[in-house]
Amino acid sequence: MTIIDRARITSLHVFCAVLVAAILVRPLITEALSAPVLRTAATVFVAVCVQALPFLVLGVLLSGAIAAFVSPALLRRALPAHPMAAVPVAGAAGLVLPGCECASVPVARRLMAQGVPDGAALTFLLAAPAINPVVLVATAVAFPGEPRMVLARAIGSLATACVMGWLWQRAGRAGWIAARARRAAPASSGAGRWAVLAETARHDLVSAGGFLVLGGLTAAAFSVLVPPEWMDALAGQVLLAVVVMAVLAVVLALCSEADAFVAASLSMLPLLPRLAFLVVGPAVDVKLIALQAGTFGQAFAARFAPATFVVAVMCAVAAGLVVLP
Amino acid sequence: MRRDTQHVLLVLLGGALLRIAADDTYLRYVRPSHRWLLLAAGAVIVVLAAVALVRDRAPAAVSPGEGTHQHTGVERHVPWLLLAPVLVIVLVAPPALGADAVSRSGSRNAALQDADLFGPLPPGDAPELSVAEFVQRAAWDTSGSVEGREVTLIGFAVRRGAAMELARMTISCCAADARPNRVRLVGDLGEITPDTWLRVQGSAHPGSATAASGYVPALTVTMLEQVDPPPDPYEY
Repeated sequence: MTIIDRARITSLHVFCAVLVAAILVRPLITEALSAPVLRTAATVFVAVCVQALPFLVLGVLLSGAIAAFVSPALLRRALPAHPMAAVPVAGAAGLVLPGCECASVPVARRLMAQGVPDGAALTFLLAAPAINPVVLVATAVAFPGEPRMVLARAIGSLATACVMGWLWQRAGRAGWIAARARRAAPASSGAGRWAVLAETARHDLVSAGGFLVLGGLTAAAFSVLVPPEWMDALAGQVLLAVVVMAVLAVVLALCSEADAFVAASLSMLPLLPRLAFLVVGPAVDVKLIALQAGTFGQAFAARFAPATFVVAVMCAVAAGLVVLP
Repeated sequence: MRRDTQHVLLVLLGGALLRIAADDTYLRYVRPSHRWLLLAAGAVIVVLAAVALVRDRAPAAVSPGEGTHQHTGVERHVPWLLLAPVLVIVLVAPPALGADAVSRSGSRNAALQDADLFGPLPPGDAPELSVAEFVQRAAWDTSGSVEGREVTLIGFAVRRGAAMELARMTISCCAADARPNRVRLVGDLGEITPDTWLRVQGSAHPGSATAASGYVPALTVTMLEQVDPPPDPYEY
């Protein structure tokens, strides 16, 4: 460290200043959060962060392990050569990664960096949180009298993931994805592999974690802003209810293992809008949009999130019309 | 953000997770089974930061990997947001969801219909039930297991208009998916401030938990006392 470096104000100084200031004004912060609405929002904010962080850690560790131990050649052998054929295989692979959506973003990004076709990596991104066994069992438990709900959810989500993968393979441009998402970790062997794992995981955690917090803040704000009377007003209007429930799935950012219980509790609504809630939620919500913008770049998120929303709503309605009579 | 600042931030973040999992604080936000995930995640975060700190100190650490590449624009500053949950947890540690969250979630109970025939109540004079189970039995049990029986419920007070309710939140993952179950308290209750935790003994009004009442049963209170908040504020 040079003398000039030492004289400059670095982020570490700012960091310490923020900490000291926060401790000094603690009574003020506590006072400000004593309003009931802010307390409720703060609890939801901490809950979203605390609930999602272990899954994000799992995701970055998996991402690090893929970077360190799975070579691009190995992945190429495992997937069909044609990108269009690789999409459904990636969708089926989503069945085996149990976890919330936060885990799948770093993993999908790492698959992309290791040479998996973009469309297949994005299909995995959408399928893994939506159709893994934990989520499907949770759905079955939440809808005890409606086993078709599980089938409709699996079909709707898998269709969303595959359609988005094919769509990206066809119409997507590689340039929309930020170059940093494709940066492969340096190749190494032996003890160096563990260093690659640790550094990749640490870096992914810092960059994705900040965006996760951003999503948590948004979800907490909406959780106290959405008036509950909306639900009762929607009971008779299926089409409007589908749209509103899809938008709610985006802004509430529930974890995919829990959203079935919330959907089940909205018993005043027909099944179709609630299915839309379950199909849209794991594919696109504010927490995921923030994570995707951070991982793949804003140009990507600005196109991918709206497209996924439209495709997910259509797939949910189609699956619902076929499976739920 | 410099690498060493990131390391310190990660240590604080991991420390915050370990801190809330060390005692019952985490129960305000997530379900009990989440504790081991929190401990593991906190430990992993601290270890990742420690490894990076040690490697950066070593003289031969010329392979900082991808950590050094610069994000552009606002994205450079996004890691700062990780400080937000740390500060909120350490300085405020917001309480479990209470009366405010209940009144924000509409006028209906969220009880799911699990069955239409329930087993007999536990033996005893006034067996203790979870609020969710009481609501379910009152709404759907065709054998009428709670009718004419005294039960004991524990929950917090919520004011709805002129009426007083006893409520408890049910969560399945974290507090973000919390759904309330409420029981309307009938009788001479005295002055109760919302969010006070109560142990209530009483019997259900038959047929009071219907679609028209939002599946909120009414309970004639025979005994009521203030209690300390339980360590685990939610039901599952």
